[in-house]
Amino acid sequence: MSRRRTVKPWNQRLAPYLFIAPNMLIFGVFIIYPALNGFVVSAYDSNNGRTFRPVGTDNYGNLFSDAEFWTAARATAVFVFAFVVLCTAGAIGLALLLNQRIRGRAFFRAVFFLPVLLSPVVVGLLWSWILERRAGALNSVLGADIPWLIDGKLALGVAVFVGVWTHVGFYTLITMAGLQGIDGSYYEAARLDGATAWQRFRFVTWPLLRPTTLVVVVLGLIAGFQAFDFIYTLTGGGPLGATTLMVQYIYEHAFRSPIRYGLAAAGSVVLFVTIFALTMLNFLYARRREAV
Amino acid sequence: MRRAPSTGKVLTYAGLIALTLLFLAPVVWTALSSFKDRTELAARPPTLFPQSFAVENYTEALSRFDFTVYLRNSLVVTVSATVLTLAINAMAAYALAKYNFRGRDLLFLVTLGTIMIPLQIILIPLQQVASQLGMTNSLLGMIIPPAATPTGVFLLRQYMLTIPDELVEAARIDGAGELRIFWRLILPLCRPALAVVTIFSVIWRWNDFLWPLVIAQSQDLYTLPVALAQFNSEEVVPFNYILAMSVVSMLPVIIVFLLTQRHIVKGIAQTGLR
Repeated sequence: MSRRRTVKPWNQRLAPYLFIAPNMLIFGVFIIYPALNGFVVSAYDSNNGRTFRPVGTDNYGNLFSDAEFWTAARATAVFVFAFVVLCTAGAIGLALLLNQRIRGRAFFRAVFFLPVLLSPVVVGLLWSWILERRAGALNSVLGADIPWLIDGKLALGVAVFVGVWTHVGFYTLITMAGLQGIDGSYYEAARLDGATAWQRFRFVTWPLLRPTTLVVVVLGLIAGFQAFDFIYTLTGGGPLGATTLMVQYIYEHAFRSPIRYGLAAAGSVVLFVTIFALTMLNFLYARRREAV
Repeated sequence: MRRAPSTGKVLTYAGLIALTLLFLAPVVWTALSSFKDRTELAARPPTLFPQSFAVENYTEALSRFDFTVYLRNSLVVTVSATVLTLAINAMAAYALAKYNFRGRDLLFLVTLGTIMIPLQIILIPLQQVASQLGMTNSLLGMIIPPAATPTGVFLLRQYMLTIPDELVEAARIDGAGELRIFWRLILPLCRPALAVVTIFSVIWRWNDFLWPLVIAQSQDLYTLPVALAQFNSEEVVPFNYILAMSVVSMLPVIIVFLLTQRHIVKGIAQTGLR
């Protein structure tokens, strides 16, 4: 941008504001205002969704003393951690595979992207059907009797797997774009120095891919904390709440009788603060690594 | 160069084929099973290929349930929300990429920040806003609130930054108005990025579940995913119909993807998503 101080005609001064206005209006009304209002709602209690009265921080007190909240929080923590790690590692692995000179690259790329296209509701249905204990295809093929969706720990693992299965194709695409941005001369230099494939990955790909990895980790974190729809049709949150994550906990308190808006809003605030803090930590970490 | 395939190559292909099976088999099996009748679906062990080839699953699902209504709702929401998203995201991106105005950096920061506020997190206050605006139980309520996407603005802005400013200046000297420059010059140049935003918007809107579920109180406003999930949890609909509906719900996005897929990789590679 030039720093000339020319006086622009009025239409050029006004135009950007008019261009940005519709988007900002919707952001304001449907994202920013509700986000701020969430803090307000969390300070009120309601009588099954009607007649609100201020209760200060009571909702947070009730939230933190609710055993179901802690079950959901723990399940969410386990889910998000495993989801982010596996998605990031999977995306890098798949992107490296697809970045080689192979036949049918477009085909493989489309295959891994296929689950991204599917409705999470359908994804949940599909896997619940495959993993069904008695009539499911997997146990039939394995000739086993594994209670995939009936055992709590196993079910949470299945939820992680299905989540990764659904999302990893998208992160692979981003990672492939990142890989293509790395200058080929680095690899040639490394090869001339006699670096092995592992050394080329460790000392060229890995550091130069870091900005892409950061994007994948942050998007993965946000997606992980949002997970709900495919779990809803996969396990319904069961068995015994083992796969009820925070979004489902919030949804059930907000829209299922007895409606407890305040408690649900308090849960949303906790979730928002968690996502915000973790995202910021990631960016701070990335910045510090750059400074070193 | 012609030589025997190295072990590395063999391993690569073996890995790719195994992974392809993992990603493709569940979907193919679902598609095949949607042609099985109810006895065959309940068979143990399950069959791979349909013996019965029950096309009735499709025809009856269409006629016995308000399936066409859900299909139409999904279509209306997806198409109009995507058009709206493209229009307002592109306009906002243009302002952020090609104008120097007071408050620009702040507005860009606000845009980026909203990525951290997914709809799931603001569900309750958002539902309250929608209900105050009389948007609950209407298709409009499904279309408008999620239309402004931070990802779309970001992708389009990054792409527009690669368009030289001189081009815009030249158009101005030729006497083109601001709107005309945007419409006739910028938008055509952004086609790859617009394709990426289109496909993502179609995927998100078509498959969206939680927000339509919250907004649609009456059954005649259900979109496909909402209807599928409700039927599945209530078990009022035989599973062979649910499967047929699932397959129909997969098809449109898969077709859109196949039509636009070469733009997607190129678009992402050229925009700032890295």
